[in-house]
Amino acid sequence: MFPTRSKSLAAVLLVAAVALTGCGRSNVSDTPEAAATIGSGPAKGTLTIWAQAEEAAALPTFTKEFEKLNPDVHIKVTPIPWDAAYSKYQTAIAGGTTPDIAHMGTTWMSDFATAFAPTPKSIDTSEFFPSAVKSTQVHGGTFGVPWYVDTRVIYYRKDLAAKAGYTTFPTSWTDFKAMAKAMQTKAGATWGVNLPPGSPSSFGSILPFMWSDGADLMNADQTKWTLDAPEWVDAMKKYQSFFTEKIASRTPDTSPGAPDAAFVNGSIPMILGGPSYLGTLVTAGGPSIKDKVGVGRIPMDKSSTSFVGGGDLVVFKKSHNQDAAWKFIQWMLKPDTQIKWQQTLGDLPASQAAWKDPVLANDPVLSVFGQQLTDTKAPPAIPTWNQVSSAGDQALEQIVKSGADPAEVLKKLQATADSIGTGS
Amino acid sequence: MSRTLVPAGAVVGAGRGDLVERTHASRTRRRRQALVGWLFAAPFVLSFCLFMLFPLGASLAMSFTDITGRDIQTPFAVNFVGLQQYSHLLGNPQFRKSVGVTAYFVVVGIPLTMVVALALAVALNSGINRFRTAFRVGFYTPVVTSIVAVSVVWRFILQDNGLLNGILGWVGIDGPNWLNSTTWAMPAMILMAVWRNMGTLMVIFLAGLQTIPEEVKEAAVIDGASRWKVFRLITLPLLRPTLLLGAVLLSVGYLQFFEEPYVMTKGGPLDSTLSITYFTYQQFGFGNYGTASAASYLLFLAIALLSLLQFRALRSKD
Repeated sequence: MFPTRSKSLAAVLLVAAVALTGCGRSNVSDTPEAAATIGSGPAKGTLTIWAQAEEAAALPTFTKEFEKLNPDVHIKVTPIPWDAAYSKYQTAIAGGTTPDIAHMGTTWMSDFATAFAPTPKSIDTSEFFPSAVKSTQVHGGTFGVPWYVDTRVIYYRKDLAAKAGYTTFPTSWTDFKAMAKAMQTKAGATWGVNLPPGSPSSFGSILPFMWSDGADLMNADQTKWTLDAPEWVDAMKKYQSFFTEKIASRTPDTSPGAPDAAFVNGSIPMILGGPSYLGTLVTAGGPSIKDKVGVGRIPMDKSSTSFVGGGDLVVFKKSHNQDAAWKFIQWMLKPDTQIKWQQTLGDLPASQAAWKDPVLANDPVLSVFGQQLTDTKAPPAIPTWNQVSSAGDQALEQIVKSGADPAEVLKKLQATADSIGTGS
Repeated sequence: MSRTLVPAGAVVGAGRGDLVERTHASRTRRRRQALVGWLFAAPFVLSFCLFMLFPLGASLAMSFTDITGRDIQTPFAVNFVGLQQYSHLLGNPQFRKSVGVTAYFVVVGIPLTMVVALALAVALNSGINRFRTAFRVGFYTPVVTSIVAVSVVWRFILQDNGLLNGILGWVGIDGPNWLNSTTWAMPAMILMAVWRNMGTLMVIFLAGLQTIPEEVKEAAVIDGASRWKVFRLITLPLLRPTLLLGAVLLSVGYLQFFEEPYVMTKGGPLDSTLSITYFTYQQFGFGNYGTASAASYLLFLAIALLSLLQFRALRSKD
């Protein structure tokens, strides 16, 4: 009766409809698996480790040492570049080709947690920095361990600060602003400080200033965003004043190398940076720049809180050699291994015991990092953080570049964040 | 009645039995030929189905669910949400802004590129006689450059104290901060797109111009038509199929413009250069696979619609 073409089309649609009704999320939440126990005795078998960039380049020296201590184990390190790493892990998890151990960025933990093996209770991370440990606690369980931490402090030109009349780094917000202004008027700088103006990822970068003013991203049990609180309005107004008073540029050059060059030639003598930034500055300005570089903690409003990130070491559920994997991780977490790691690469140890060592405690730059690490916060490890952060970038752009009223912009940001939700 | 080939070597007899045998043999032979044909085509068909049809179908299915990046391991454990992704998109102000930006780019960019390319083609066809090849190569070169490299160089040229503002300064114009201005970022990108794509269209239009018979134009000139009248009333109508080809090629490319905002402005000051594809790319980055698939299918619908419109408007009226 009907022509064959529409009959087959109807058949295809029927099959598709039935297939789609078969889809659906299960309402049962996954109960976390019981953690394995690590056996005694040396590690055995083969291990594959995936790590990113500089960490992957430095790992082989350490794996060779572990192999010497455990002759029956063989470790292979595979380097991955940072920009390809997220999708590589995604496809490996989807295809079931995960390695034994992986170097995971702290902000990725919640995205991939369903593929990780829970941390054995025998691994003790109680003396590690609390915010670093928090990054391993996702979805009601503990996965992986903190490996190294990363935080942000303010790098400044000591010589230009001296010319402006400041021999020590200011500890209060108003003094910090005054010093930036003085560097412009007395030390010949074009701009006092290089602040993120709303470009991508700038919202995450300015969180230290917001946190130091008492503004929090979410409420205590992480069920609701709190982006339009009065502390936020206050903090944003203070941040906006840097741009309206022409202490920071609305359109800084963000192409690779340009901020470093500006720091070296003194046109923008202050910038936020992490532990590896000193190396970047030396590359840009030669070893002589080292004497002119100083670091200071985030200036205090209600507190001096900075951002903590870093890397975690995780073991995948599908790994065939979890015992050796956890033994290797245990060895990497020992304080002397952590100090050696820091000396090799510059990554800051996650173990607080490592910081008591004179090598770290007496270094003028590293000791500031050590002090800053005692007061840090991390962005919430929830799946929608990236999207909310991007909406925050746009809000920041409006506040900085078009001079919009922070209260109104934050109210709209709160509405956007509420509609994006917390991904739970 | 369909004609059947008599297989070579078959007995051409007059009996009814022979006829049945002949058609049976030819049917088997045809079936075998068909089988051989399919075997030859099989590798391509398989890879096409696996790498083109399957992802197309999968992303269409994804656009009707609420799948996110975290569901990759269990892709069927997602909820079927019907047209919710599409309706959320149409209500999303950022998506609507990206539609506006893309429409701006297309509505201004396509006619501009076509006019410039047609002018160049006409000039090369009749006006310029010496160094014609050099000009052709010169105008076509931007097409074969790497878009990323070009975007990086153009970003330097368009800086506030860059080359373009320097040249404008010679004639006394204070050029704006192109890529950081919400009004001037899009014109800068349109200019760059025109510069880059006029070569392709120029070559196509040149070929089209050369198919127009000289006698028709000469006849018009003899009848007293001016050169402009000849162009408008003879050349352009005869060029319709070529113009249609150019317009469709451009619209498919321009509706999906991505590399320029990605390299130069990352979505531009306050989303003023956020194209639909860049929005889709961002959503994929956040892991909102359902939303991103819905956005890409909306874009597909837009491209199909625009091509249909162009076919109706520019079809040759024979």
